Amino acid sequence: MSLPPDYSNEITALNREILKHQPSDTLQFCANFFSRRLESQRAEFLLSQQHSSSQGRGLAESTFPGSNPFSTSPSGGFATSHMQRLEEEEENDVVASPTAASFSPDAMDHAQSTPGEDTFGNFENFADSAKSFPRQPPGLGAMDAQSFPSNYNMNRRTSVSAESLNPASSINDNWTPPYHQKTNDQQARLKAGVAGNFLFSHLDDEQSTQVLGALQEKPIPTKGIKVIAQGDVGDYFYVVESGAFDIYVNPSGKLEAGPDGLGNKVGTVGPGGSFGELALMYNAPRAATVVSTQQSTLWALDRVTFRRILMESAFDRRRMYEGFLEEVSLLSSLTPYERSKIADALETKKYPPGTTIIREGDAGESFYILEAGEAEVYKRGVDKPVNRYKKGDYFGELALLNDAPRAASVTSTSDVIVATLGKDGFQRLLGPVEGIMRRNDPSKASALDADAVDPLAR
Amino acid sequence: MAAVVHKLLHHDHHANREPPSQSSQTEPSNQSGQSNQPPPSPHERQDSAMDRARDEEKHAVAQWDEQRQPLEPGQIEQDRKWVGHSSRVLRQEDFELIKTLGTGTFARVWLVRLANAREGDQHKVFALKILRKVDVIRLKQVEHVRNERNVLGSVAGHPFITTMVASFQDHDSLYMLLDYCPGGEVFSYLRRARRFNEATSQFYAAEIVLILEFLHEKMGVAYRDLKPENILIDAEGHLKLVDFGFAKKVENRETYTLCGTPEYLAPEVIRNTGHGTAVDWWAFGILVYEFLVGQPPFWDQNPMKIYEQIVEGRVRFPSAMSSDARNLISGLCTVDTSKRLGNIKGGASAVKSHAWFQHIDWDALYHRRINGPIVPHLRGPADTRNFDEYEPESDQREPYSNDMAEKWDEFFRDF
Repeated sequence: MSLPPDYSNEITALNREILKHQPSDTLQFCANFFSRRLESQRAEFLLSQQHSSSQGRGLAESTFPGSNPFSTSPSGGFATSHMQRLEEEEENDVVASPTAASFSPDAMDHAQSTPGEDTFGNFENFADSAKSFPRQPPGLGAMDAQSFPSNYNMNRRTSVSAESLNPASSINDNWTPPYHQKTNDQQARLKAGVAGNFLFSHLDDEQSTQVLGALQEKPIPTKGIKVIAQGDVGDYFYVVESGAFDIYVNPSGKLEAGPDGLGNKVGTVGPGGSFGELALMYNAPRAATVVSTQQSTLWALDRVTFRRILMESAFDRRRMYEGFLEEVSLLSSLTPYERSKIADALETKKYPPGTTIIREGDAGESFYILEAGEAEVYKRGVDKPVNRYKKGDYFGELALLNDAPRAASVTSTSDVIVATLGKDGFQRLLGPVEGIMRRNDPSKASALDADAVDPLAR
Repeated sequence: MAAVVHKLLHHDHHANREPPSQSSQTEPSNQSGQSNQPPPSPHERQDSAMDRARDEEKHAVAQWDEQRQPLEPGQIEQDRKWVGHSSRVLRQEDFELIKTLGTGTFARVWLVRLANAREGDQHKVFALKILRKVDVIRLKQVEHVRNERNVLGSVAGHPFITTMVASFQDHDSLYMLLDYCPGGEVFSYLRRARRFNEATSQFYAAEIVLILEFLHEKMGVAYRDLKPENILIDAEGHLKLVDFGFAKKVENRETYTLCGTPEYLAPEVIRNTGHGTAVDWWAFGILVYEFLVGQPPFWDQNPMKIYEQIVEGRVRFPSAMSSDARNLISGLCTVDTSKRLGNIKGGASAVKSHAWFQHIDWDALYHRRINGPIVPHLRGPADTRNFDEYEPESDQREPYSNDMAEKWDEFFRDF
């Protein structure tokens, strides 16, 4: 007979606490732990009861939350009583995130070492701001303040949506990103300017070149020009080339008329700085007003161009990978859906000329498709390359099937880009390759001969 | 209420029964050669045949729930089912607007009662979602609205998805007639309780898994806006997924338009590398976390900081969370889609067999044989106490001009 899962959960949590605090008085520590847990669950239960059916079903110990409604009788899961109504808590509390930058990484699983002080849930330490909450007298109220992260904006959240985007090649539209000439210096400064922005740090070289090329120079002739106005629709992201700007936020949420309409100055931005990046995601009202303080120059990038560059290159790459995969005889029985899943999982790697990508005799773990560049195949004891690979050729796919050592070495002769996937990755997505091969011909997998499918063996 | 329960759980032998009224199956669009025109206004056509058809249809609509029961996944796909049809005869005047249940940027949902209905039908209530064509066009949501209507029509009959009984339109508005779900939003319960205990979270999460399994694997649909605000509780305490504004039939192709709710966006949506049904599994992980903790794992006042955290994908757990729950959420909220639970081999069944769901009887759950943890208090089927109050609708509305109608009505033709 196994222990009830709820019991195991509690004990696991207790074990964690014990390990963390190494209490000297173990019994006292455990007693405190369980009384806090009980308090927390009773309070939660009461809250949930406000919303439950009033058809009384007696209150029994086993019906407290934590018991499982699925494992007990259908009617017993949630008892009803009106022991006490709790005040609803205020919405719009303090603002901080459990994972915000300002949040200390240790705080999450940290609790004070005095057993009487810490709260079980550790929600108290969820964010620094929670600590400033006044201690309330013991009881349900106190438990609430201590164990809930009272820092999240509790309002209904609005959905967001950007312009509908469809890849050009799927709708016969020859779109190319706009290109605006820049000097090498400008290019380098721009690159440095956006380096810290996560939207740009994931771009590959080609995307990066296209995005930087698409930034358009925007001269700001004089001081006092509002480049963006708080509350307005936002379509552009800006990088400062030269000059300076002040940032204002009006607590009302939008720029207003009159001398104080700008609101409070919250910062300045100078060369290399940037603002308005949310506009690269979707059209949201501007969160601040940005005003020039002198003659300046900006680089501007609009959302549709930015997102389109990302989309077109992702789309092209997926179709290219799917095309490559169609040629892999070992995988010929994949459905288009499965092929697109594998294409999605392929990882891009780059090698300089002269790199040995796989080595004869090594255990094989991944298979490769040559996406760009050229490579040569060597076998021990043979001086000259036994084969050459170019774009679209693939090798090492037997690794998906078995752990046999590599039958040859493959060395790049130019800069190469390969798309690669490991056996574990493949199996995680689709299960063993053997099963997929058997779909076509049940005899094929067992009769599989390395010479037949592995170009390395040729 | 007992009667309703009986009806819902009663498996009669007429699951594939013919539509309640033949005349309600009006031919689409091509009547009178007005293929590009919305249905004529009542002032243009008053012939008695039309009135009779309308009366028949109203009665059929009123009686729709007489045969309501969870359809088996295979039955939902059938074209023969009556719910989810596009009506050419219903009009707004057929419904009396009682109270606003929710508002969006271009839509408003009303609790409505049948107006001038037959004896016995007068008390039937529905939720009527009204979308103004002008706003839909201005906010560039035409494609999304068409997707919404088509997806809702095709999924009608699933036990945990709001049933679109019918859709219709007039000159300036689009209408979706939905079943009224009197329990209100899971969001409201969650915010009041701050967080759900493990058993409650498991129950709701499990019903959501059944919805996603059906949408992804039977219908090829990505929902794309999972959050507590879009999940309602019905009279018996079961869930109903509503608001299919971003739902899209993606099949096995990726799609690129960014949409969703900031805290619930998947990393691939933010990075625009193409996304599919896997975004729903990510959002499902966020949802389970929010159930158990009371707030989503990634949050900041500045939305860009939320996105930065999402793309990085490091979820922190309160130490009280059970290891099964952590493991489930970590599996779902995995940045690499080729490792994300729900998207990897097995799909939804891999989620269903996760240890956190080990006590769920999935078949009993689908057939609504398991009691929900929260059963709303209701005075009657039209009770709206579980819905918040909303500002009245603004009187100032941009008109839907004839020029616009000429340009756009063809996009709404099948609505």
